[in-house]
Amino acid sequence: MSLPPKTAPVWQKLANGGLKLLRSSNLGMQMLTQRIEMSKLSPAQKSDEIYAFFVKWEKGLSNEVAQLGRL
Amino acid sequence: MKSLNLAGSDHGRLNALLGLDDAAALIRAGAPLAIAGRAEALDTLPKGNWIGGTTPYFLTEDGGEVIGADKVFVSDFSGLGAVRVATYDEHHLDKITEDAPENGFALAIIPFQSVVHERFARESGSYPLAFLKPTVGWIAGFDLGEAGACAYVYDGQHATRHTNRAVVLHVELPEGVMPGVEIVNIFEADGVDVLRFEETGFAQTHVLVNGERRPFVDYIRERGLEGGQLPLVGDFGGARINASLREVGDGSVQLYAPVFPGVDYAFAAPVADYAAAFHAAFVDHSHDGAVFSCNCILNFLFGGLEGKSIGGAAGPVTFGEIAYSLVNQTLVQVRAL
Repeated sequence: MSLPPKTAPVWQKLANGGLKLLRSSNLGMQMLTQRIEMSKLSPAQKSDEIYAFFVKWEKGLSNEVAQLGRL
Repeated sequence: MKSLNLAGSDHGRLNALLGLDDAAALIRAGAPLAIAGRAEALDTLPKGNWIGGTTPYFLTEDGGEVIGADKVFVSDFSGLGAVRVATYDEHHLDKITEDAPENGFALAIIPFQSVVHERFARESGSYPLAFLKPTVGWIAGFDLGEAGACAYVYDGQHATRHTNRAVVLHVELPEGVMPGVEIVNIFEADGVDVLRFEETGFAQTHVLVNGERRPFVDYIRERGLEGGQLPLVGDFGGARINASLREVGDGSVQLYAPVFPGVDYAFAAPVADYAAAFHAAFVDHSHDGAVFSCNCILNFLFGGLEGKSIGGAAGPVTFGEIAYSLVNQTLVQVRAL
C-alpha cells in the first residue's frame, strides 16, 4: 500500500487521537505518538508532523502504513 | 584486545577495544571514529575526525570488562558517508538534530551531571526534528571507584575535552540506507500501580499513585524499592522507557533521567538473570547492520555483567543512553538498514 496523499483525511484522524490506535514496534513512531498526544499544537500542525514522519520513514513503516486504510 | 584487523566489526567496520597506538594510527589515517575510555587514555590521542567520552566499562563479545588506561573502545564509521564533528553548548542542543544529515543520524556524547545533560534530557523529545533526524548516543561517566572523578567528552578535531558540551558525530548514510534506532529493555512494568508525576524533572517529591498524591519517598520505602535496582518504566506510545532511581533521600527522589507529566509509569518487575534476559531479548532484535551500541552502567552493576557475555552487541557501558531522548537501564543500538 502506498502512502495516502497529504490531503487524505487519514492524517487528520491520526492527529485527532488515531495515532495511538496504530500498532507499532518502531521506536520513533512510539515516541512520536506520545509527543503528539501531549502536544498543544493544532490538529493541522500535528497532522503535518505525522505526515512528514511517514514520508521520511515510509520504507520502514510498512506495517503501520498497511493499518492506515483501516482507521 | 583486538588487533587492527577489523575483527569484531560489522560490514568490516571496527567496533572493539584497541591499544592506544592502534587507535592513534586509525585517527592519523583519517578514520571517522567514536572513542570511549578513561580520560588518561583519551588525553593521549592525536587530533582527528573523532569524538570521545569517558567510561572504563564495556561490553564486548567476550563479556563485560573494566579497562585500564592502556586501551580504548573504538567505533569506526568509515565507508558509510560523510562524517562531521560538532560540539554544542546547552543553549544550542536543538541544533544537534537540525545539523544532522538528511539521511543519517547524530551520535552524541554528553558528560554526566552537566547542564547539557539535564537540558538535553528534559528537552530532546520536543526538538522539532527529533524524530526526522534521529540522535543516538550516550552519557559519559567515570570509574565509580575513583573519588572525585569527573566525566569528560572529547572533540578530537580540536583536541579539546569538555565537561559541559555535547560532542556529536554527524553520520551520513548512503542513498537507500536508513538508520534504525532500536532499544532493548529487559524491564517490564510490574503491574502493581500506575504512577504519574506532576512536573518534568530528575527530582520528584510527590507521585500520583493510581490518582492519589503521595510523598514519593514514602511510596518507594513502603514497597522496599529504595535499593534502586528496579527502574521506573514509562509507557511512551507503547515503548518502554526507563528512568532509574539514583537516590532516595529524606524528602525527594533523585532520578538518572527525568520523568514527564502525562506519561503512565510503573516500577519494573524484578529480573533474575540480566545476561539471560538480554540473550532472550536478542531473539527478536537483529544486530545485522549494527553501527553503534551502548548499554547502561546499572545493568552492568546490578546484572553482574563483568565477565559475562550478553550477545553480539559490543560497546561502551554508560551513565545514560540516548535513543532520540535520554533513557536508562537500556541497550541502545543503531543499525544501517
